[in-house]
Amino acid sequence: MMKCKNFRALLLALAMVLSLAACGGTSDSGAKDAPPADTSAPAETEAPAEGGDQQDSDLAYVQGKGTLVVGMTDFAPMDYRDAGGNWIGFDADMATAFAESLGVKVEFQEITWDYKVMELDAKSIDCVWNGMTLNDEVKAAMDTGNAYCLNAQVLVVPADKAADFKDLTSLEGLNVAVESGSAGEDAAEALGASTTAVAKQADALMEVSAGTADAAVIDLLMAGAMIGEGTNYANLTYTVNLNTAQGLESEEYGVGFRKGSDLVSAWNEFWAAAIADGTVLKTGTTYGVQESLILE
Amino acid sequence: MLSFFSSAEFQTVLSALNTGFIKTLQLFFVTLVGAVPLGLVISFGSMSRIPPLRWLTKTVVWIVRGTPLVLQIIALYYVPGLKGFHIWSGGESGRFTAVAVAFVINYACYFSEIYRGGIQGVPVGQQEAGLVLGMTRRQIFFKVTLLQMIKRIVPPMSNEIITLVKDTSLARVVALQEVIWMGESFMKGNQGYAGLVWPLFFTAVYYLAFSGVATILLGKLEKKLEYFR
Repeated sequence: MMKCKNFRALLLALAMVLSLAACGGTSDSGAKDAPPADTSAPAETEAPAEGGDQQDSDLAYVQGKGTLVVGMTDFAPMDYRDAGGNWIGFDADMATAFAESLGVKVEFQEITWDYKVMELDAKSIDCVWNGMTLNDEVKAAMDTGNAYCLNAQVLVVPADKAADFKDLTSLEGLNVAVESGSAGEDAAEALGASTTAVAKQADALMEVSAGTADAAVIDLLMAGAMIGEGTNYANLTYTVNLNTAQGLESEEYGVGFRKGSDLVSAWNEFWAAAIADGTVLKTGTTYGVQESLILE
Repeated sequence: MLSFFSSAEFQTVLSALNTGFIKTLQLFFVTLVGAVPLGLVISFGSMSRIPPLRWLTKTVVWIVRGTPLVLQIIALYYVPGLKGFHIWSGGESGRFTAVAVAFVINYACYFSEIYRGGIQGVPVGQQEAGLVLGMTRRQIFFKVTLLQMIKRIVPPMSNEIITLVKDTSLARVVALQEVIWMGESFMKGNQGYAGLVWPLFFTAVYYLAFSGVATILLGKLEKKLEYFR
């Protein structure tokens, strides 16, 4: 009787292990079966064949799978959806052109901004191209193309209190909402504000609008597009340029690639050519960012 | 007010939220279909007569129940890729698969404890009666214990199932575009609308409606099982 019990328990153990394995198996095959229509499927089957080559050349890896996966967030006017649901914007249009120059298709993947480096290293995306400020953290974790756009951090306050903030040189004693991990967070802290880190720049605006924060620090490009008359945040305005207040130079936007990727030089070549033939200026004018572009 | 419901803004937001809620529902049903049977297997493991197997299962259950689900999702999606094993396919489908696996394992562990409680809550007299009647252990489990267990576990399972509906929102940490992600997207800007706060709160309507339906269905199931009394 005892032996019989043990045997049965063993069987159960086996069943459990097998079902766990089966679970892993189905999910795997599910992942591989699902996207045959998708262009990403050949990438998985070809990747092993490339082997060592793939480690040497990121460009060959991207061309091998036939898609450039661009990691981005919804960030007008750089990347946003039109009424038809397609991704447009200055960055989106240029990314499409870049993918074309490589002879691959472009695929836009919305990511959680805090995880951009992990996404890149785990190869779920091939580049981060989303009005990304080139700060020390970004430069340490990625290889970036040449800067292509200038930006500054501005202080967003309720319009009826704007006068109080006019000549501010310090943010001490203010409760300021900032996007977690953003350049605005650094700037606000450098000026002595006590900061509340929120997930997105838009959340920071909501904090000010709801009165739960005195002010917010966001990108000038975004502030231009999202607040003031004719927007949903008509009661907000932006005043202090925090870069000037700190005596710093303007920030620069750049495109991030994996460390050691040869896509960086491919991108720099593409961009120089796009400036030369006027594509950059033309696309920039379409989205109203021509003033901020670096055209040299 | 009525004109608002027919406005382009409302229509756009609604269709985006619908797309998101379909993702939410897919995740919900995949989790349920995977976790309900897997939980039973795990509960057998934690009641096993072989100590190492029992310890192993209990350790796994401890780890899965003792760490935040959101952390499990992040780990399961990113860590394999960071280590060079690209087991998840690119794009949305890979994210969904990874998240679904995390949910199935997590919920199976919770379910397993509910099952264990249900099985061990069936009076020993029932099993003894089965033995006296000459039934095998297998027969006793499937014909006597299992049915009574199902009746006992319906209320706690309903609890978990309703929690599951809302937990699916954790999937947005790896950018799976479920209904909360879609609601939030209009704060930042989506399809020409930016700074809208109401879509986020409007997602509550979806959750309430769905958990309402779930409550009614599970209540009916409970009634149906009353004849065991």
